[in-house]
Amino acid sequence: MRRRLLSASVALLLTLSMAAAQAADSVWSGLVMATNAPEPTPIPAELNRFESTLKQLFGYNQYQVIGQSRNTLTKGEEDWRASSKYFALQVNSKPAASAAYRLNLQLFQQDKLLLETDADLSKKKPLVIRGPQVGQGQLVLLVVME
Amino acid sequence: MKTFEENWTAWIDGQLTGKELAEFEASLPDLSAARLEKQEARQLGSLLRQELSTQGMTNEEFFSHQLREEIARDSRATTPQSTPAPARESWWSIGRVVWTGAASLAVLALTTFFMMRDDNAGGQSAYLTQIINARITDPAASPDATITPFESKDGKATVLWVDGLQSLPSEYAAK
Repeated sequence: MRRRLLSASVALLLTLSMAAAQAADSVWSGLVMATNAPEPTPIPAELNRFESTLKQLFGYNQYQVIGQSRNTLTKGEEDWRASSKYFALQVNSKPAASAAYRLNLQLFQQDKLLLETDADLSKKKPLVIRGPQVGQGQLVLLVVME
Repeated sequence: MKTFEENWTAWIDGQLTGKELAEFEASLPDLSAARLEKQEARQLGSLLRQELSTQGMTNEEFFSHQLREEIARDSRATTPQSTPAPARESWWSIGRVVWTGAASLAVLALTTFFMMRDDNAGGQSAYLTQIINARITDPAASPDATITPFESKDGKATVLWVDGLQSLPSEYAAK
């Protein structure tokens, strides 16, 4: 009985280890409009854990997601795009020998490329990019590894 | 021929009769003192017999005792003779400890192998988020634009602060 239990435990450990090792990371990319509103809407769930950081950085009281994309990185080389009506964040992940996912990020205003950056992304910290002023608010780009 | 002590004991116990009794009493120097001593000895004897004898049981106690004895005998007769249980030996024999240790090391090695392989596969890790480079792609449209990378004050985000990009009307905030 105990031998069976031990065998089952070892098998379970192996399965879990392999499953954990093969689990792919997920990256959330978002276009966020930061504004001041008399009655701000609650912060979206995707931004919930960054609320204090965003408020500290930009000082607005309302953050709304106007475009987003969630992708799973399985091969290390993936392309995706988070779009709103006028903006798009194109993300290309590249295999790299460095210590994080190497991402190439391009911010488009319709077809016009405004900004391009290369960054390493880790699970510990999201990447926050301050975009152009839009009306009385601010476009903010967020890339988060989940 | 009995000794004096044997005759004395027999006289006190009342076992001398007839000629023996007459001869023995005649040989005593003071018969009345001897008879007094005999009486005391017999009283002492009866007292000892009374005090040292076993306590007798009442009928109820005797019946109860007999019943318990009978039940105990029946129980012994009906209970199967069980073999004594072997001494419990520990499951952790040396062989099992060795095998368990080897299995644990194998699990650790496999886990490490898969984790490291996965780390190398996509260049992914949980170390740092950092800006490698950044550029404004149309400097003519935003000649005063500046780019500043930094860590947020609370240390929870890596920030690329772009200042001076051309402002856009509020309709661009549409989803």
